[in-house]
Amino acid sequence: MPTRSTPSHRMLVRLLVAAQLLYVLGVAGAGYATTAYGQHIILATSPVDLHGLQYESFVRLRYTIAEAPLTAWRGPTSPQRRQSVYVLLSTGADSLAAVVGVYEAAPRPTAGQAVLRGWVTDVFPRTLGLRYNLERYYVPGDSPLRLGKTSPAVRVRVSIAPWGQARIERVELFKPTAVR
Amino acid sequence: MSRKFLETESPAWVADGLITAEQQQRLLARYPPDAVQAVGLLPLLGSILLLLSALSIVAANWQSLPTQVRLGLLLSTLAAAYAGGEYFLRRGNRRVGHGLIGLGLVVFGVSIILTSQLYQLVGYDVSGLLAWVVVGVLLSYLYESQALVLLPIIIGAAVQTYCTQALGTFSYATMGLVALGSGYRWWRRPDTIVASVLATGLLWQAALWVALSHSKITWFFIPAMLVYAAGDWHPERPASRALQGPPLVAAYLFALGLALFGETDQYAGLLRPPVLAYLGALAAVFALSVAGKRQRGRLASLPDWLLLLPGFYLPGGLPLAIATLVVLYAHAGSVLARAHRSGEAEQLTLGTVLFVVATMVAYFKLTWAFLDKSLFFLIGGVLLLTMSWYLRRRNAQRLAAGVATVATGPTPPSTSDKSPTA
Repeated sequence: MPTRSTPSHRMLVRLLVAAQLLYVLGVAGAGYATTAYGQHIILATSPVDLHGLQYESFVRLRYTIAEAPLTAWRGPTSPQRRQSVYVLLSTGADSLAAVVGVYEAAPRPTAGQAVLRGWVTDVFPRTLGLRYNLERYYVPGDSPLRLGKTSPAVRVRVSIAPWGQARIERVELFKPTAVR
Repeated sequence: MSRKFLETESPAWVADGLITAEQQQRLLARYPPDAVQAVGLLPLLGSILLLLSALSIVAANWQSLPTQVRLGLLLSTLAAAYAGGEYFLRRGNRRVGHGLIGLGLVVFGVSIILTSQLYQLVGYDVSGLLAWVVVGVLLSYLYESQALVLLPIIIGAAVQTYCTQALGTFSYATMGLVALGSGYRWWRRPDTIVASVLATGLLWQAALWVALSHSKITWFFIPAMLVYAAGDWHPERPASRALQGPPLVAAYLFALGLALFGETDQYAGLLRPPVLAYLGALAAVFALSVAGKRQRGRLASLPDWLLLLPGFYLPGGLPLAIATLVVLYAHAGSVLARAHRSGEAEQLTLGTVLFVVATMVAYFKLTWAFLDKSLFFLIGGVLLLTMSWYLRRRNAQRLAAGVATVATGPTPPSTSDKSPTA
């Protein structure tokens, strides 16, 4: 283990630091690529509570697809809490995504379908509680949500990369007259 | 002995004729006053305050900064921390240098998290954070610093916690990196603090694995005793004992819990894994441990394994509680016997405490139901006092005998040598 600053040691450190910088850039690149090459779906939420925005920089989104009937479960064994699952969503041309089935292994989506990964939070007698890790939305400074309308309903545009990552592309206020 | 002590005391030694003035000067020269740190306290505090102010400005405006600026800030902080660390190391200021390198590692992890958040990006496996552990382990090999060895162990535990709690999977890669990467680093440069933290970190990950897989909690002791067995193979005694400490504490607490609550079959039922699989795995680890002990000549510590006796396969109820108590007594007795043989004061104290604890548990278990409360406490108190008096006496005698046989020089052993356990 070198303790002195020999040329080879310095070289290794430089390589390691460069690798870290590239890695962080790679994470950012994955963000861009997910939007560029991903499949886009639109998710509906229940009204968003904006009060927390005074103290925090994010809001909590409650998706309508966060709850699925237990009949949508497609797995050999009954679902367990904290289990990771694949949610098959049907996406219409401009319509909202709806749950088709909840799978334990990755299903093959047909045209007009998308797969979003998630986790089981609760197993109720008739329904499944699901979590997508997309619930926490960091509201950008120029977002319309910052204008402080109380409890608006929103539409969330999510892109899903072919390699499985997903990101919130943008969040729009839901007004039938003024979408976008 | 500190320099200050030498400075104040040595004139008296010269006056008493113990040493000459020349010898005094040579002694003082041998222990030079601590070199003044290159970075004093005031500039350090000042720069911390400046850093905090910059940090709070950035944090307050984080969401309104453009994406590229945020990314740039993260990357330049990362690069600056490492560059600063290398700069201070080259100037010979190891503490600040290693501190800044460690800061760079932390900034790397923060950058991964904040960049994912920047793009509202969700990852479904731990690969994003795994890079953090990899870099941490690599850095610990590049620098000779205890803190930089501890960091990846702690980061590994944190990443594993996130992975099991938020993603619902266990990252075997993280466990392997910490066990093999940090483990090998410790093996090459043994250190007691690193050993304790390493063992605790690995045990933490093992506990997360048990919790996530809904296994019987007794499976926890297979990885835990693997850590213990690794300690058996290490050539250096203090470091290996430090590595074995956390697994032994866990095993002891488990045995204690079994003695206290084992009576109810409901609890014992939670502990019974499939007999053949569990005993087979345990026997394999045991064989590994015994082989190590034999190789290093430490077979005396074999009774540690008493705590791992799978008594929970016994039918619940009183037999189980009593069998566990017998095991606890046997273990405490073995520690005492070993301490008497080696004459180690700390081991004697430990053995005494274990013995008292076993007695207390036995007393609570067996007499609470039969005795009047005041009589119960009275007898208990008398019992403990008598026992502590007896054990202390024995320890003192043993140690005195040990010192007397060792001390053949002209100076007789002083009484203060004999009673560190008192």
